[in-house]
Amino acid sequence: MGRKNRFMVVDDELIVRESLAAWLEKEQAVVDRAESGEQALDFMEQNLYDILFVDIKMPGMGGFGLLERVKELFPTTVVVIITAYGTVDHAVKAMKLGADDFLVKPFDPEGLGLLVAKLLEYKKLLEEKQYLRGEMARCWGGPDEIIGQSRPMTELFEQIMEIAASESSVLILGETGTGKELIARAIHANSKRMGAPFVPINCGAIPESLMESEIFGYEKGSFTGAIRPKKGLIEVAEGGTLFLDEVGEISAKMQVDLLRVLQDKTFFRVGGVEPLMADFRLISATHQDLNREVAEGTFRQDFFYRINVITLRVPPLRERREDIPLLVKHFISTFARETNRDVDSVSDRATNILTEYDWPGNIRELENVVERAVVTSHKRVITDEAFAYLKPGEVCAQVETAPRSLQEAEIAHIKRILDEEDWNITRAAKILEVDRSTLHKKINRYGLQR
Amino acid sequence: MSKKATDSQLSPANRGLIAVIPMGKPESDVLHVVADSLQGILRLPVDVREPIPMPEETFLASRNQYNAMAIIKYLDVNYADSALKILGVTAKDIANPILTHVFGEAYMDGRTAVMSSFRLGRNPGGKPVSREQFLDRVVKVAIHEIGHTFNIPHCQQGRCVMRASNSLIELDDKLNYLCSYCELFLSEALTAALKKPDREMRRTESA
Repeated sequence: MGRKNRFMVVDDELIVRESLAAWLEKEQAVVDRAESGEQALDFMEQNLYDILFVDIKMPGMGGFGLLERVKELFPTTVVVIITAYGTVDHAVKAMKLGADDFLVKPFDPEGLGLLVAKLLEYKKLLEEKQYLRGEMARCWGGPDEIIGQSRPMTELFEQIMEIAASESSVLILGETGTGKELIARAIHANSKRMGAPFVPINCGAIPESLMESEIFGYEKGSFTGAIRPKKGLIEVAEGGTLFLDEVGEISAKMQVDLLRVLQDKTFFRVGGVEPLMADFRLISATHQDLNREVAEGTFRQDFFYRINVITLRVPPLRERREDIPLLVKHFISTFARETNRDVDSVSDRATNILTEYDWPGNIRELENVVERAVVTSHKRVITDEAFAYLKPGEVCAQVETAPRSLQEAEIAHIKRILDEEDWNITRAAKILEVDRSTLHKKINRYGLQR
Repeated sequence: MSKKATDSQLSPANRGLIAVIPMGKPESDVLHVVADSLQGILRLPVDVREPIPMPEETFLASRNQYNAMAIIKYLDVNYADSALKILGVTAKDIANPILTHVFGEAYMDGRTAVMSSFRLGRNPGGKPVSREQFLDRVVKVAIHEIGHTFNIPHCQQGRCVMRASNSLIELDDKLNYLCSYCELFLSEALTAALKKPDREMRRTESA
């Protein structure tokens, strides 16, 4: 059996409190009785209520006063206004203040039974909605999902929460690899548009020739190969958020086209003649200095002003070094799980190296470095040797020779172990924790030689 | 069922544990089916007491109905020392301050309940129902209200008589007996009620 429903009857007339409470108690509910709005609020501090039945005419704050306070403090609590004087004015006022239903005494028992069942179902849906919004915010990556406790990051989180509810365009500035898309997702997750799509477009990755049809869509027959109409990403983002990553890469023509959409809120599919309504919030991001580009005439000033209503700056990793241990811990746990490796931490000396390094590639670089260390580690604790190539002074020599990709790292590591074991395949395979046949395949694939 | 007797003829020891009190002039077959069904369900002696007039102070003049909750209070006060449970039965229309009408009324774990046959003789459209169907409805309301006095809440199981019935359609849809869960609740409640010290003391004194 689930938890019992909890109701409260708020009425200054004892007989009403008693009769309604007696009726509700037969529904296996716990029913509290309050003789004033003030007493009801006291009870609400102690317990969570599913439905409140509130009389309008009471001494003190009265039924409407209580309704206002409840909707402000406990928005998912359902409130039914009850009255002996059913006027249209009262009903309208009750609904405007957020009452979930309005009953005139005496009630038809069948109607009351149906109403309670309907309101309990509604309450359940409200709670489910609240839960799902929370879950969606987590999935979208709300500020709680972004790792960082440093001052620049906490300030950034505060800014996100402040601006999320507005509809203004946002420009996110930050070096490459600082997590600009995560910030954009966090804004979306905390906005009214959260239930609608978040559509990211990497402007630098889409060829100029395809950009127009990708963003605006096209009509059938508008060009060779357009065998059926296709929605553009603006349409996909209907009601949601459009995220233009690397907006500095966008062509002059596309800047004009997008400017028109932002101004008129309408657009045309390629080859289309019907204007379509656009309803999206625009968030853009760039690592470039757009002010300079505007000054140099390579970026349109009017478009820049349109996309830059609110500016957020994501700090580079070197400006929030205290977050590095947290990020490292997060990445280790992620990669250890993904690669099924028994690695759980880094040594203090290794942490020092990671904290002192300047991270020109920011979090993306840190992520790669930690992934490589996890894959190549033989121990639960990653030691400073794994990050020796990051040490100041060794950077020049190491960066030149250090492997850049995961595959290069794997080749180098296999070669090193084979050399250490004098190319004894059995011993090397054991150290590498792979089968001999797997090691042979890798030696052949990478063309490794003694 | 115990024979119908006036209160003065019955010594406390000989009174039934359940008292059915006719109020106003309910029909005799109504009283019989109520008493029989309660005795069958509760397996306790049931007395049909002397009829009493409807208490004037329970009349709601503005609604031309009797206040079920006031009737319960009246019976509680005036039959304070008699039965374990009391059921007032009337043919008058009854309601409570918040509902337009009720078929019956009882407090959870209270001592007294009241029921009315006023609305049970016709269908919602006004067409009279057969006597058999009418009496079947009477039985269901009687058992349902007495069930509440044994602290049995509305049942969610199938067509149990303790299921809420706020309309005649819902009343007709349910069966006229308790489901196995409510039977169990009733059995426990009866055991507890019969063991209550004050009751034992009263029995001992009267013996």
